[in-house]
Amino acid sequence: MPPENVFVPLASPFSPWEPGALGFTVFFCIVLAILALILFLSGFLVRRRPTPEKQRPYECGILPTGQGRFRYPVPFFLMAVFFLIFDVETAYIMAYAAAWPELGLPGYLRLAVFVVVLGLGLAYAWKKGGLDWNEEQGL
Amino acid sequence: MTDIRDAAFAPADYIINWARKNSLWPFFFGLSCCFVEEATAWGPRYDIARFGSEVFRGSPRQADVLIISGTMFKKVAPVALRLYEQMADPKWVISMGSCSNSGGMYDVYSVVQGSDQILPVDVYIPGCPPRPEALFEGLLLLQKKIAAGERPTRPVLHLPGGCEGGRRDHLIDGVNKCRDTRGPGYAGIPIRGTAATEPFFHGSRTAGMWTPAAPRIALRPDQEAVAADLLAAFGEDVALVPDSQDMPTYAVAPARIVEVLDRLKHASPTRFTRLEDLTAIDETARKDRPGHDATVVYTLTSLSAPGMVRLTCALPTRDASIASATGVWPAAAWYEREVAEMFGLAFAGHPDPRRLLTHRDWQGHPLRKDSEGRATNMAPFTEEEARRLEPVDAREILGPHADDGDYILNFGPHHYATHGILRYALALRGERIKAVGLDIGYHHRGVEKIGERQTWHQFIPYTDRVDYLSGVANNLSYVTAVETLAGIAVPPRAAYARVMLSELFRLSNHLMYFGTFLQDLGMMSPIFYALREREMVLDIIETITGGRLHPSWLRIGGMAADLPEGWKEMVDAFVKIFPGRLKEYHAGVTKNPIVRARCVGVGGISAADAIDWGVTGPNLRAAGVAWDRRKAMPYGAYADFDFDVPTREGGDCFARYLVRMDEMEQSLRIIEQAASNMPGGRYLSEDVRYCLPQKDEALRDIESLIHHFVNVTRGPRLPAGQAYAATEAPRGEQGYYLVSDGGSHAYRLRVRTPGFANIQALPLIAEGLRIADFVAVLASYDYILPDIDR
Repeated sequence: MPPENVFVPLASPFSPWEPGALGFTVFFCIVLAILALILFLSGFLVRRRPTPEKQRPYECGILPTGQGRFRYPVPFFLMAVFFLIFDVETAYIMAYAAAWPELGLPGYLRLAVFVVVLGLGLAYAWKKGGLDWNEEQGL
Repeated sequence: MTDIRDAAFAPADYIINWARKNSLWPFFFGLSCCFVEEATAWGPRYDIARFGSEVFRGSPRQADVLIISGTMFKKVAPVALRLYEQMADPKWVISMGSCSNSGGMYDVYSVVQGSDQILPVDVYIPGCPPRPEALFEGLLLLQKKIAAGERPTRPVLHLPGGCEGGRRDHLIDGVNKCRDTRGPGYAGIPIRGTAATEPFFHGSRTAGMWTPAAPRIALRPDQEAVAADLLAAFGEDVALVPDSQDMPTYAVAPARIVEVLDRLKHASPTRFTRLEDLTAIDETARKDRPGHDATVVYTLTSLSAPGMVRLTCALPTRDASIASATGVWPAAAWYEREVAEMFGLAFAGHPDPRRLLTHRDWQGHPLRKDSEGRATNMAPFTEEEARRLEPVDAREILGPHADDGDYILNFGPHHYATHGILRYALALRGERIKAVGLDIGYHHRGVEKIGERQTWHQFIPYTDRVDYLSGVANNLSYVTAVETLAGIAVPPRAAYARVMLSELFRLSNHLMYFGTFLQDLGMMSPIFYALREREMVLDIIETITGGRLHPSWLRIGGMAADLPEGWKEMVDAFVKIFPGRLKEYHAGVTKNPIVRARCVGVGGISAADAIDWGVTGPNLRAAGVAWDRRKAMPYGAYADFDFDVPTREGGDCFARYLVRMDEMEQSLRIIEQAASNMPGGRYLSEDVRYCLPQKDEALRDIESLIHHFVNVTRGPRLPAGQAYAATEAPRGEQGYYLVSDGGSHAYRLRVRTPGFANIQALPLIAEGLRIADFVAVLASYDYILPDIDR
């Protein structure tokens, strides 16, 4: 004979009696509320008094010459892109290194493919002269 | 009666005010001398962090206190206005120092007589310059003002009422301020003594005084040879002036000046390789009018056979034209531009005949005798005037040196790394500097004009401020020139004390250099060490002179008072401590690989270029030229001292740094010798015709008292003539060229400064470098603004 008064929660993840989604949801809402409050206060408490001079770009007290959007040398862009790519690579490798005990050899091989592909890309960029710094390029 | 709402918001007001007043963030904005004391306040001994204001912000967006430290120049006023506008609200303004408060001692055409005429000032700090303690007093007053007067809660909560931030209004001359230093009510009454100065000299008492003629020099054999060579080559077009007081002087026919200069540089028996100075004299207010209205004066220096020569060209009118010397010396470019704007003369064939120091739209030629010198006699400087004198566009400064594809960047006048209000317009290709355009004159204080209305003694305080980190060393250049002109012998005790003080100031200057140079390279700590040692030097200087930056301590023929009791112990203690500190610097900095990477091989200049452009001082010695005026053409007591002239090769940033480090060691040697061999005796010359009597004598006998009275009131009459004397100031060779008409003040006073020539050569060094290297070059180059703009 089965026991009669067994408590069967309807949606167990939201049960207040067990660790689950409810705690997370409450936490999430508090974070949202605090963020909203901070954003509101920093917007509300600041009194903006825009004047034409204040809205101008600061250039050592002198009126700037020409546009802020000027043509700039390509190497700056290339450097930025390369940095982005290899930065992302680092992020993956870090995450992978943290999980090394669980992943073992198969994980190692999978990551190796990723690194080798990127390495090939770097070699190609190097060979093409993408890493050479020529400031006149693109002007 | 307190409003009920005021009472309701009082606790919140109190809290907001408390937070604001204890975290005032000053704007990193310095105009001149006062900023040195402001920076010292940030240093280790004074430590402004105790008052919550150590965060000096480089951008106006992050700052809420504008400390106007220094002289508000008409040329920089539009910049200061804009920077104030760009600061975050609520904001406050402290006016630091007499210049900023009222124009101070600079009642001159280029200076605003009080920054409160254009900016709303909350607190005034008196002093010239105010000590760091005075700055703290000002800061505390501002804190009190905030706590007592502001009710910020309601503005913060967008409710009506309440108040926050400093004043918003500026003062208007004749309505709520008076520019007359005597106070209101004197309108139309000229300042005392005006009539006795040029252009009319009515009632000048010097006419009734007699002085012996100025001393004359006898030509050395090598100078005779030059004279003979010139006479042979040019015949009647070059004439040796018979009564040269300081160096051989030739009157040259204007049509042949370029040929004569070229010969002296390239073909004469003694080669004069440096154009020391080029200036002019307006002759229209002479007591005895010569047949011409203007004279152009060229001063040349020979480095191979230490000696100088002067050439004068008489021009019929003040609008006359003369051939440009830029073909012989490229360095003539700026000198000629300055003469052209100051006197109205024209230089035919000049590659770039624009105004140099004054604004493009400036009216008139300030150094003409009939041009108004006092700002208080001119219309008040207003905000509208500031808008009119808006600094010119960078593209205009660069001219043909910039292309359409270049990115134009203004570097200064307000910038951490410019070490003063100097503006570089950079044409950039990426990070690389393609061309540098210089815009100077933001710090033009018109001292040459002032020199023509102050008596010979009265001018001494102005010399201190020409290179505001070198104090007494500046006095020395000026009094040496006066002493040359009048033939005054300086007693040995004074001569030694002058040497000692000059070297102490060299140390103080180089210590500041050491700190700021490395700070600009991104090394934060050295400045704290350097300021610690600098305070020790300043303590000695203060014990002896009573002042820190501007002691105005030297007098014609000696110094203001005898050395006080206890000076020797202080100097001895310092001499003992300092070598160890120097070792510390070398250990921490000189071997630092990052410093080396930033400096070695960066921004070099060749010896030939440096000489050709008139570069002097440590910057010249860093290029491998062993030329030091203290050794080559000794003045004062320097011939008695044993010291070396440190040099380096290559003239790069690292060489410039090392030369200065070595110079500190040599200065210390000189100080040690001066202290141990200090002679006894008088500290002022007995020649009371020109010099003040010693104070104890003036208090004891009536004769000395009379001399004292005459010399401090109407001033001594110096013989008619001209003299140039240069000294090896910390930053290079600083010379004073004095022209006397036999009056109690200079007829023409010209300051030849090292900075002017050094900075003119800067594009040579900087073009082709990257921006970060440019900062290293500026920091290692060690210039100072009043020394460039005067």
